Amino acid sequence: MTRRNLHRQTFWLSAAGAFILLLSLWLVSPAGAEPPAQETEKYCLSCHGNPDLSITLPNGEELSLYIPQDALDHSVHSAKGIECEACHNDITEYPHPELKYQSARELSRAYYQTCEKCHSLNYEKALDSMHAKAAEAGNLDAPICTDCHGAHDVRPPDEPRSMISETCRQCHTEIVDAYRQSVHGAALMVEENPDVPVCTDCHGVHNIQDPRTAQFRVAEPELCAGCHANEELMSKYGLSADVYSIYKHSWHGVDISVYKAKWPTIWHDSAVCSDCHGIHDIRSTDDPQSRVNPNNLLATCQQCHPDAGPNWTDAWTGHNEISLERTPALFYVERFYVLFAPFVLWVCVIYVVLQIVRATVDRVRRNLP
Amino acid sequence: MSGKTKTPPQAVRHERTFPRFTVAQRWEHAVLLLSGLVLLLTGLPQKYRDLAISQDLLSTPDRVELIRQIHHIAAIVLMLEALYHFGRIVYLMAKRRLPGDLLPTWQDVRDAWHMLQYLLFLRSDKPKFGRYNFEQKVTYWFIFFGILIMGISGLVIWFPIQFTRFLPGGVVPAAKLAHSTEAVVIAIFIIVWHVYHVHVERMNLSMFTGRLSEEEMRTFHEKEYERLTGGSVTKARPGAKK
Repeated sequence: MTRRNLHRQTFWLSAAGAFILLLSLWLVSPAGAEPPAQETEKYCLSCHGNPDLSITLPNGEELSLYIPQDALDHSVHSAKGIECEACHNDITEYPHPELKYQSARELSRAYYQTCEKCHSLNYEKALDSMHAKAAEAGNLDAPICTDCHGAHDVRPPDEPRSMISETCRQCHTEIVDAYRQSVHGAALMVEENPDVPVCTDCHGVHNIQDPRTAQFRVAEPELCAGCHANEELMSKYGLSADVYSIYKHSWHGVDISVYKAKWPTIWHDSAVCSDCHGIHDIRSTDDPQSRVNPNNLLATCQQCHPDAGPNWTDAWTGHNEISLERTPALFYVERFYVLFAPFVLWVCVIYVVLQIVRATVDRVRRNLP
Repeated sequence: MSGKTKTPPQAVRHERTFPRFTVAQRWEHAVLLLSGLVLLLTGLPQKYRDLAISQDLLSTPDRVELIRQIHHIAAIVLMLEALYHFGRIVYLMAKRRLPGDLLPTWQDVRDAWHMLQYLLFLRSDKPKFGRYNFEQKVTYWFIFFGILIMGISGLVIWFPIQFTRFLPGGVVPAAKLAHSTEAVVIAIFIIVWHVYHVHVERMNLSMFTGRLSEEEMRTFHEKEYERLTGGSVTKARPGAKK
């Protein structure tokens, strides 16, 4: 065997070995239920695990570069083997390239864009949101993915459910505080009630729209009806599920439905749910602080009907079916017309039909020989 | 010119006519008809606002406002007419000159019963009527009370805040229901009952011409004809014996 042959044999042996090794990697990796190796995480944390590690940005901000191991341990990404360089994709070596960001915010706004790689649908939705519009208008503090979901410690956003309103509260403090006092918010805070709406149930999740528009206003009754017309859900709390259907036939409701159908972008003052019940501070009607509590109802009506007197509140039939006890005048008028209208119709029709028959018979008889 | 007037009178058939409605009454009817029609046409799209056809008509918020204003103007016209009519009744009553031909009497009940028997082929002769038959009286009083209901309920829903200062709030939704239901009841009544009697049964245009022909008087208001002429017309009535 020549020296050259020996070389060739060694080459093929090592090639086969490498092939088998690669093959085994390919075969093993999808089947392996073991958490994947977090090599870069460990490697990066060898420096970034130091609590004192920080950098001074060009604008003078002191940016901590410390990433606690604990944060990564709780992240949904870490467990799936999504490592540092998945997001920090411009850093591939040490020493790192020069940081090109002027401020910490600029850095966040640059890195959050990597969310799109995996979460493209929600990322695009967020681009249509009120928040993205605020950013376009120049408010760089408008939230980006990481502001709500976190950067290194991304966790399921709704565990527990009250976490959602906690997240919104970071910026919308007063509103969430008012919400916590409401019948919905209290149930969420006290018992993590799964039925009450949290912020995102009404406002949407990623494509959150401006709730102050005419479109949002005319769509509001249907939004509330999502739960309040649900018989099963309402009976759990002893509430009527007819509130929406009765509202729809009321003066206010008909007005709003016409505007919704014809002119959704034109503002209309006819009352929608929140005008009387409140927006974030909705309370039970029994609550003395509720705007629709009988004691406060007149003041609520007077928001739009300033000259209304004390009898006025009875002009509002509430979200109630016609009944002798609550609305006697309406009850008797309805009873009267339920009988009178068909009576008039049938008497007229029968009388006229009889006349036509008799007149025709008379005419035929006269013409007979 | 004078030669033409000498043509013999037999060449032209002169039909005798009888006065039925004064000019003032015909004007009242015209105002009632027009304002009522405007009220119906502007009211129905408001009542049935969720229908597509109404929404096409109310195609802009300004149109809604316009239609409401037209409705209110027509309502004022009709209310003025109703006040005039009522004022005239009171004036004539005070002077003891109200004819009273339109007041319901027991004879009307007997006539209606007679008519029902005739319509059911239980009698061969029609009842003989006076100046106003029971059908016409029903029409008058139905519309009389209809306008009363429409006027009062309409004012309540036009000025709800003012009315609830001295009336319970419950009258507002009650008035709203009464207004929108009574409107449809009146419309059905006029279309079926009144239109049949004045346009289908026979073309009775006396409310516009003010007069009835001798033939019409003999056929439809025999008692009145006899009262005015002092003679019987039974023989002249076509088809009376069958």
